[in-house]
Amino acid sequence: MNRTQRNLAYQAAALLLVFGAVALVVATASANLADRGIELGTEFLGDRAGFTLSESWLPYSPEDSNLWAIAAGIVNTLVISLFVAFFATFIGTGLGILRLSENALAKSFARSWVEIARNSPPILLLLFLYSFLGQVLPVADVVEPIQGVYLSLRGLAIPALDLQGMGWSVTGGVLLTLIGIGSVAKATASRQRETGLCPPWVKWAIAASALLWLLIIVLLLAPSASVELPKANGPDIVGGFILSPEFFTLITGLTFYTSGFVAEIVRTGLQSVTRGQWEAAYALGLSRGRTLRLVVIPQMLRVIIPPMTSQYINIVKNSTLVIAIGYADFMVVTGTVINKTSHAIEGTVIIIAVYLAINLSLSALMNQVNRRVQQGVG
Amino acid sequence: MQKLSSDAPGWNAVRSLVGSPFNAVLTVIFAVILFLALPPFLTWAVFDAAVFPAVPETCRTAAGACWSFIVAKHSQILFGIYPFDERWRPLLVCTLLIGLLVYSIRPSAWRARLAGFWIVALMLSWGLMRGGFAGLASVSTDNWGGLPVTLLLTVVAIGIGFPTGILLALARRSDLPVIRLLSTLFIELTRALPLLSILFIASIMLPLLVPEDLLPDKFSRAVIALTMFASAYLAEVVRGGLQALPKGQAEAAQALGLSYWQCQLKVILPQAIAVVIPALTNTIIVMIKNTSLVLVIGLFDLISSGKAALADPEWSSPSVEVYLFITAIYFTLCFGFSRFADRLEQRAKGPSHE
Repeated sequence: MNRTQRNLAYQAAALLLVFGAVALVVATASANLADRGIELGTEFLGDRAGFTLSESWLPYSPEDSNLWAIAAGIVNTLVISLFVAFFATFIGTGLGILRLSENALAKSFARSWVEIARNSPPILLLLFLYSFLGQVLPVADVVEPIQGVYLSLRGLAIPALDLQGMGWSVTGGVLLTLIGIGSVAKATASRQRETGLCPPWVKWAIAASALLWLLIIVLLLAPSASVELPKANGPDIVGGFILSPEFFTLITGLTFYTSGFVAEIVRTGLQSVTRGQWEAAYALGLSRGRTLRLVVIPQMLRVIIPPMTSQYINIVKNSTLVIAIGYADFMVVTGTVINKTSHAIEGTVIIIAVYLAINLSLSALMNQVNRRVQQGVG
Repeated sequence: MQKLSSDAPGWNAVRSLVGSPFNAVLTVIFAVILFLALPPFLTWAVFDAAVFPAVPETCRTAAGACWSFIVAKHSQILFGIYPFDERWRPLLVCTLLIGLLVYSIRPSAWRARLAGFWIVALMLSWGLMRGGFAGLASVSTDNWGGLPVTLLLTVVAIGIGFPTGILLALARRSDLPVIRLLSTLFIELTRALPLLSILFIASIMLPLLVPEDLLPDKFSRAVIALTMFASAYLAEVVRGGLQALPKGQAEAAQALGLSYWQCQLKVILPQAIAVVIPALTNTIIVMIKNTSLVLVIGLFDLISSGKAALADPEWSSPSVEVYLFITAIYFTLCFGFSRFADRLEQRAKGPSHE
């Protein structure tokens, strides 16, 4: 038997093995399903969910369908991940810079934070923080530390801005403004690269049009918007925006954990830009700010972006840990749906598909960013 | 930036704190943070804390931390519901596993006999925990708990996951398209899913997918899920090492007439693994932390045994203290392990860096 034949034989054997395992699994699964009288299908998604969610960013009630419950779970997962990614990036960057500071006190503060964060299981951080909150929050009553702000076992209630259903148009308006500013800035930048000219009025024009936009939005909304104050109703709080202890715990805990890793990434990135780069930029007459912006940060980002991508994906994965404190994320909701309807196979497919979709789009997005950074554009 | 350092170490410390206006501001900020955070914490954890005698009454009168609970219940938290008189056995197992783990990260220990040590240690651990011979009382896996479960899960998952990971890494770089595809599919799928969902899927899907006679118990299900997870991550670490090697190494080995496996085992892998030791220790630390998640599928690890201890109605349920205690155990394991690995790495590099 020659080499090619042997290679073919190996691959055929591997395929046979996998197919055999899959066939065995499928046979057992269909026998088991038949035994328990479960039929594969997606109808269960349309059925009434019938369970409550501890919290939901989408409007949800037990009367809604299983599909809507799962969607609410996905939105919860995404919201947690966004918050954690935002805070962890900022705090982690700060810590990473502090770790290289000359100041012994600041350095050891950052060092202890990073070591504790990186060497503790995140689920324990959540449990610890949650039981800590359970002990410090006022038990049977509502406290009002500042006028209009309430604190109770249910969380922190602050006045909410009630936009009378205009929330979506505001979000849309702000997004449009940002996109507009972005495209003008991009056009100007590419014009500057081609012609070497940057009309000084462009910055002002962008700022003025953005302000104008915001003014229009505010003027449109002002008549209908109102502030909704929370009110204490016995041991309960009615109205306002309530920050629950669960949400606070999971944002704080996961941010603390992730910031330790971000700090190390930022520190490595900073150290990767050698002193000679700074000196060369100064020798060219660049100011400290421009040196940072034009020389140091672009080189640093090259080192930072790939590991940051895996940190962002880790945040999405770690958001599943909120199960420990009973927050309804995507995993919890889907698990409940599976337990209620016993559609384990379909549920598993949904779990795999959703995490794959989130993580693949996240890495596609970050790869896009990475490509720009590696080319030195931007 | 370029100040010449004077020789007095005390002077350096002073200058690092107030050497420039910016540093002085930083010092003030962090001094304020310390001043606000440290005294209340110390009051709670030390001055007002209840320690001895370790009975519920001590905690009722104290305003601070209830360490008496930890003192009274430490053996239940560490060893779960393992029979009280037999607890020297899990203690011995923990000592054995931690000792061997520390011994194994030294590259000088990497001989063929290390694998033998591990197999003997694991069999010994299993035998000691399970009992039922030589006069040892038999203890079923349902009664195992706490730290030995955490350590056994970590060690078994890495022990099986590492060789599997090496095979997966080689398969992913193989010339055979089918093998490469299968391995890539497995690695990417496993890495895209949170460990918790893998544990969850393993616990709900296995009873459906596997014939009843072959169905593993809860402990083995956790081991399977953790091993899958570990092997996918270790495979990527090893692949990093394989990619770092110049192509000439494989070509030279081939030119010498070595077969594929001889080439991998004698030339490529020893060098590739040496390159990725730091990444390997990181993955091992991640795995130690990850075992804490088996709590979710109802396995009796450290957190679950801590929760079980908290359920005692005699005590005022000092959960903060218990979670702090368990976090401290994990921290000691992970931090100690990473420090030790760092030191080895520094020594391997030689003293001249930085």
